[in-house]
Amino acid sequence: MKKSIILLMLSVLIPATAKAGGYRVALQGARMLGMAHAGSAVFGGAESAFFNPAGIGFGTGDNAFALGVSPVISKVKYQNAQNLWTAQTHNPVGTPVYAYYTHKISDVFYLGLALYTPFGSTVKWDKDWVGSHLVNEISLRAFFFQPSFVIKPSDYFSIAVSFIAASGSISYNKNINRFMTDGQGNRTDITLEAKDAAGAGFGISVAIRPSEKVSLGFNYRSTVWLRSRYGVATINDNPGFLPEHDHFSAALPMPAEMSLGLAFRPIDKLLITMELDEVFWSVYKSLDIDFGHLPDTRMAKNWENSFTYRIGAEYTLNEHLQVRAGYYYDESPIPATYFAPDTPSLDSNNWTFGFTYKMGKLSVDAALLYKTEKERSDSYDYYIEGMSAPRFSGSYVANAIVPSFGIQYQF
Amino acid sequence: MKTIYRFLALTALMLVACEPEFKNPVDPDNVDITSGSADFSVYVAVGNSLSAGYMNGTLYKSGQEYSFPKLLADRMKEAGGGEFTQPYMDDDTKDVGGMMMGNLQILPPKLVVDAGDKAVERINEQPTMTLEPHPGPYNNMGVPAAKIYHYVFNGYGNIANMASGTANPYFVRMASSPNASVFEDVLAQHPTFFTLWLGNNDVLWYATSGGAGTDQTGNTDPSTYGPNDLTDPGVFAYIYNQMLQALTAGGAKGVLATIPDVASIPYMTTVPYNPVPLDQATADALNQAYAQYNGALQQALAGGLITQDEATRRTIHFQAGKNAVVLVDEDLTDLTSLNIPSLRQATADDLLPLTAASVIGQPDPNNPNLVMGVTSPLGDEYVLTADETAKVRTVTAQYNATIRALAQQYDLAVADMAAALDELAAGLRLDDNSIYTANYFSGVETLPNLFFSLDGVHPNRKGYVILANRFIDAINAKYGSTLRKYDPGYFDTNISILPHN
Repeated sequence: MKKSIILLMLSVLIPATAKAGGYRVALQGARMLGMAHAGSAVFGGAESAFFNPAGIGFGTGDNAFALGVSPVISKVKYQNAQNLWTAQTHNPVGTPVYAYYTHKISDVFYLGLALYTPFGSTVKWDKDWVGSHLVNEISLRAFFFQPSFVIKPSDYFSIAVSFIAASGSISYNKNINRFMTDGQGNRTDITLEAKDAAGAGFGISVAIRPSEKVSLGFNYRSTVWLRSRYGVATINDNPGFLPEHDHFSAALPMPAEMSLGLAFRPIDKLLITMELDEVFWSVYKSLDIDFGHLPDTRMAKNWENSFTYRIGAEYTLNEHLQVRAGYYYDESPIPATYFAPDTPSLDSNNWTFGFTYKMGKLSVDAALLYKTEKERSDSYDYYIEGMSAPRFSGSYVANAIVPSFGIQYQF
Repeated sequence: MKTIYRFLALTALMLVACEPEFKNPVDPDNVDITSGSADFSVYVAVGNSLSAGYMNGTLYKSGQEYSFPKLLADRMKEAGGGEFTQPYMDDDTKDVGGMMMGNLQILPPKLVVDAGDKAVERINEQPTMTLEPHPGPYNNMGVPAAKIYHYVFNGYGNIANMASGTANPYFVRMASSPNASVFEDVLAQHPTFFTLWLGNNDVLWYATSGGAGTDQTGNTDPSTYGPNDLTDPGVFAYIYNQMLQALTAGGAKGVLATIPDVASIPYMTTVPYNPVPLDQATADALNQAYAQYNGALQQALAGGLITQDEATRRTIHFQAGKNAVVLVDEDLTDLTSLNIPSLRQATADDLLPLTAASVIGQPDPNNPNLVMGVTSPLGDEYVLTADETAKVRTVTAQYNATIRALAQQYDLAVADMAAALDELAAGLRLDDNSIYTANYFSGVETLPNLFFSLDGVHPNRKGYVILANRFIDAINAKYGSTLRKYDPGYFDTNISILPHN
């Protein structure tokens, strides 16, 4: 019976073509990352405030804290064999962070607070590289604050609703076009900075634990539109006839995400967890920037919903040490002809490893993610220059290493 | 603890391994490019302003640096090509071109866009270049303004001939000696490869002068020609053949370029034939003013002096909306003895050169009460009539027939520039889906698709890159070489837009 329900739920979620990636950064807990970041059905510990707030109902202790950081070391390479173009990114180390707190009010009511950075990326190419008309450097960072209210009406089942308040900043530098220069031959570029971006959303989650050995989780976070009204545009190396400054408004979606997880213990010391995530990228139709004076720009995106398949395991060696490993496959949400170097998100294989060292109420978590992104030859065909749309084509390959460190405290 | 150490060791190992790699990495520094059956070791460009890198109404430093022969030579260097010298203009210190003879400006500086006035004007700077010789020869033997017969004229570079107008200031600067011909300086370099693009000026000036010159077809003595005349196709063929004979005598290979149609350049196509906006009242008043002329035409028709067709063509009529300009057409039946001027309104078949734009609608300098193109007819120099266009096209077609026949005879490649410019008029679409047009500059937003410079005759930098690619295509196809092409999208137009001039 249980099995058939799980299979049914999985079959509804898996589409013919499944693709997560994008600018989603799934690094929301050092413990969960060690086992493929498949945490929606793994309860116990403050990381549930993110992975599945309903799971707080199955936590141990009255209070739990978790906080951590996951430095992202990534590199993308680009080449175009026909034009003999090569380039690579020099991305600074990204630092997604998280801080969680969960609290048991009574056997029925629980509370969760989560502060985390689920979206963000910094992609930095060489200034004035061949794709500089699309991007020189782009940096997005979004902070989500998510309080959750949990009700656990039975021993087997709990639900949670969450409110999400988000704030973000975006900084984007690109050249005006493929050729414009100032009088000295310096390429003209524009920097867009939006520090006031904000938005709101909600979350719903369900946690089910029919027995000590099996648990199920469902977690949904809605789309949050980060909107900026007071963006500042600065034109550098101005040829003289463009304004020096302008203001702009823009909106960028932080797409909804739905996770369905299953965790079970074939033996007491071993936990196996599986998760399917769908990120609803289809809301990202285009990146529209409405300027005060300069002509408005539209960059078509037309991304597609994408899936991530996760499987992980945790093995308890002794009372102090737990070790973990996991694998997940993450699919690019970018359809053919929409592949641009500002978000070079590729299909990827991801291996994770991790451990927890417990010292009484305090635990130290560490994990390592190794991401190898698959080579892809594609183009972006919707860049507009005057009356034409010159295609930017080439091949991309990338990988990333993400160590993750966290501490947990329960009492 | 052992596990923790292992974990840290694994992290360190992976950090070192964090280098994504392509299955077939491109190495731009290690690419095999061949010259095929051609030998690019000594490349010489034989041509005129189009080979010199002339743009925006003059030859200046930042134009010359991207001449199509220079672009070609840079690619040839990857396939055994040698040094490529140009008559560089280090004395053009302001990068404005033009030329001085003593205190006299004999050639004006470059055209720029004055963003304030929204006008195309000569830059408000005095040229710094002078006639001081920098004796060549140079690999780039593009001499602005050279017609085919100038190319073989001894004395074209002699400063003493400046007064009589038979010397060329650019060749005065670059000639190896005052009495060398341009072509002698070409041959002196013993080219192993050449581009030959001559004949443009032999037809162009007739067109840009509104057909003010004479069609010299049949006259084999160029010394009797005026500057705006059409060069006899026989003279063209004779000199062209002589040149090829000499160039190929040592086994050199090369590319011959065809001559584009005069109606393919924005200089001849930008000003519409009907640019005069009128309301009904003004149209009525103008019709009243031309009633006498129209009546006289009817009398001439009744007297059998002109045909019904000509009477209809010559009848002047205005209406509310856009109206055709009134012009003088010397090919009409001469009725001036009857006090009937040779007037008619322009039709879509007439081409008005760019110079007409600043004249139409302005007061007549001789009578401020009259309006140019409306109550005061435009002179012959502002209109290339359909008959005149036909003459230019006939001569151009003969040149091109000669070029193609000689290419076959000498087994040389042809870069079909006539075809390239025809494509441009319809919108030239490149492999990356970008589009280039033969439109004249009309605002910053038109820059990405602009082929021509502000003079309406010569390409801008993007345009020269496109031409260089055409030459490369022709060379690779004929000789089996693998010269690389350029992406014009990444080249600036080199059109200066100044806040104020």
